[in-house]
Amino acid sequence: MKNEELVQRFVDQELSAEERIQFVVALGRDQALRERVLALEQLVLDATKLPRPLVPEGFAARVLERTAAAKPAAPALRRTGTWGRLIDALWAPRALQWNLAGAAAVACVALIAVGAVVATGVRRPVASVADAPPAGSGRAQAPVVLVRLVVVQPDARVVQAAGDFNGWNPSRTPLEQTADGAWTVTLPLEPGRYEYQFVVDGDRWIGDPFAVEQSNDGFGSRNAVLDVRLAEASL
Amino acid sequence: MLISRHAPSVFSVTTRMLGPAADAEDVAQDTFVSAYKALPRFQFESKFSTWLYRIAVNKCTDVLRARRPGHVSLDSPEGEEMAAWPAVDDDTPHEELERIELASELERGIQALPPLYRESFVLKHVEGLGYDEMSDILGVPRDTLKMRVYKARTLLCRSLSHLAGVR
Repeated sequence: MKNEELVQRFVDQELSAEERIQFVVALGRDQALRERVLALEQLVLDATKLPRPLVPEGFAARVLERTAAAKPAAPALRRTGTWGRLIDALWAPRALQWNLAGAAAVACVALIAVGAVVATGVRRPVASVADAPPAGSGRAQAPVVLVRLVVVQPDARVVQAAGDFNGWNPSRTPLEQTADGAWTVTLPLEPGRYEYQFVVDGDRWIGDPFAVEQSNDGFGSRNAVLDVRLAEASL
Repeated sequence: MLISRHAPSVFSVTTRMLGPAADAEDVAQDTFVSAYKALPRFQFESKFSTWLYRIAVNKCTDVLRARRPGHVSLDSPEGEEMAAWPAVDDDTPHEELERIELASELERGIQALPPLYRESFVLKHVEGLGYDEMSDILGVPRDTLKMRVYKARTLLCRSLSHLAGVR
């Protein structure tokens, strides 16, 4: 195999173990090759470090303004069967489609989520002010409320949450698996309004159709809404 | 929101394909509006982000085709074009300044690449995608993409060779 092809496959990290040995031997014998590989590796490293251009302020609002005036194309297919009709009814405004397995999983999610809310005795997943850290030494902190998110995804390998509370970065909020395929995380949140979704296996974003409140983002997707408030006793 | 989640990636691609001019935001907006209109037809055969990238790249290609060679937008003088990139001020530490200058050189090098090499390089090394996903986005065979990325890397190494001592 020619050195040049090895170089490119090395940079792409596609060499087999044997090829890597062959390549390292070639590097040891050829200074020009070493310099070329170093330059390529540096280029790739620099490219990965390039800062993302800043999204202009008001970008999302301008898109929403334009999408509000546009109607999406008619759905190509309607679902059939009991679950399909149920999900269509629940998600009429939502353009993203669910398959039947996904629909069953979402129904389980909803049941468990409702159960969790009932068990904590609040209308929404909002904990009492007793969960707030005590006032004491150190700088003053805003009171926080512990909010538990629960989702059932028995076949998932990884479940994360993304929302206003973590900059929509799912890697910051992994859920822990519990029994029966449930996943959960407890978040300390300051009072406020938070939108969120769950992310299953890194690339499947799912909402919570049974959330007390949902937000249509004007883009065919629905986010669950958490309205985090302190208990009345603290007010 | 879906827009907030994907805007940085879409805007990154449109900016690097078209340059940090007004076109880039227009095309990024067009990408989301087109996706919104076509959303009911999205069948989850690919990742949603892959689908958005595909729309964005196609729209960039349309704009680039419409531009004459050497076209410079009258709406975006050179000074304003750089406004989207991180600002530099007198308090910026020396190392940070070097890093920003290096990034600017690389950005200029990327802008100078032929469009087909540019889109492949940006998706591969700036956005960090694999060749399979790139193939889905661009509708081009893997081996062709690898050749384009190879050419892009070679051209960029050549154009940035004067910075070898700085890095």
